Amino acid sequence: MDINILQGALVRLTAEDPETFAKAHSRWDRDSEFKRLLDSEPSSLFSVRQLTEWIQKDMEKDPPPFYLFGIRTLENDQLIGFGGLEGDIFPHGEAFAGIGIGEREVWSKGYGTDAMKVILRYAFQELNLRRVSLDVFEYNPRAIRSYEKAGFVYEGRARGYLYREGQRWDLLFMGILREEWLAKDTG
Amino acid sequence: MKNDLLAGELVHLTAENPEVMAECFSRWNRDTEWLRFLDTDPPRLLSAKKWKEWLEKNLEKDVTDEVFFAIRTLEADTLIGFIGLFDLYQQHGDALVAIALGERKFWGNGYGTDAMRVMLRYAFNELNLRRVGLIVFEYNPRARRSYEKVGFVPEGRIRGAMQREGRRWDWLYMGILREEWLAKGIMTR
Repeated sequence: MDINILQGALVRLTAEDPETFAKAHSRWDRDSEFKRLLDSEPSSLFSVRQLTEWIQKDMEKDPPPFYLFGIRTLENDQLIGFGGLEGDIFPHGEAFAGIGIGEREVWSKGYGTDAMKVILRYAFQELNLRRVSLDVFEYNPRAIRSYEKAGFVYEGRARGYLYREGQRWDLLFMGILREEWLAKDTG
Repeated sequence: MKNDLLAGELVHLTAENPEVMAECFSRWNRDTEWLRFLDTDPPRLLSAKKWKEWLEKNLEKDVTDEVFFAIRTLEADTLIGFIGLFDLYQQHGDALVAIALGERKFWGNGYGTDAMRVMLRYAFNELNLRRVGLIVFEYNPRARRSYEKVGFVPEGRIRGAMQREGRRWDWLYMGILREEWLAKGIMTR
């Protein structure tokens, strides 16, 4: 069989040692724009040692709380981000996708979209899920476009969910059903 | 000025000892229709002892992102359910609310709606939140009507989020903003 389920056209999904991941995360966390796009936590900094311990503790859990991968470029094997799935995989066949490209010099070049396509193929062909969800902040149109390209559909918004830079921002919900993904045939 | 912030017209919100709550949870969980409305987990039956241990362990934790109350009727002080705020993000002023009436003979009589009104007052007047959200399953129109009555607005539909009784079901997301709650003028005193 001539297929690597964890490889796309531009990137592959990888397993990383906790220290490697921790070093990258610690560096990416210093980029507060990245943090603003990533999650709703207050921006804060953690040492490499602290991050290593957290990652190790998560890895020891059985089953792991999520399917988390590193994202490396095929071109020069650079670690540029992370992505994966978590959620009610059993019994509802549903998971939540998350992705973050920490290396800002590779933003807007299709790496994230390619990684998401690989994550979706993994979700639908390997985990046999029925749908994949995600949420995204309204001030992140680049991510919204990327998710649409991968096949996600807008499903709703929690109005004024975030309070940042002195104003309220919506949280947008998107999802893709197994049938929609099969119809797109992006895998 | 109202003297009991945690009392409505039909119910009041209370704190219960673990053994009281454990007995209720263990009994309510035998009602699988109730569980179908409550969450996405497969029904699992835990003994009252197991529930008590779990609740006691929770008490030891210093939880800052949750608020939990039991619901008792004003009339006879019957413990009929619970209500809580979860995923409370203080920095954003946002939380998710969840409510459940385990005693089914109190369904459809306005107790849940009243408890939700009290909780919203607590969320907006006491915790000073900016919005409260919730999730309801598409096969629970009674809950949806109750949420609409207290001012929740539909915000989205997560298509086919659950697999039950052999088919997919949607989740409905609803939310209420602080301004909307203030404009309704209910229980703002």
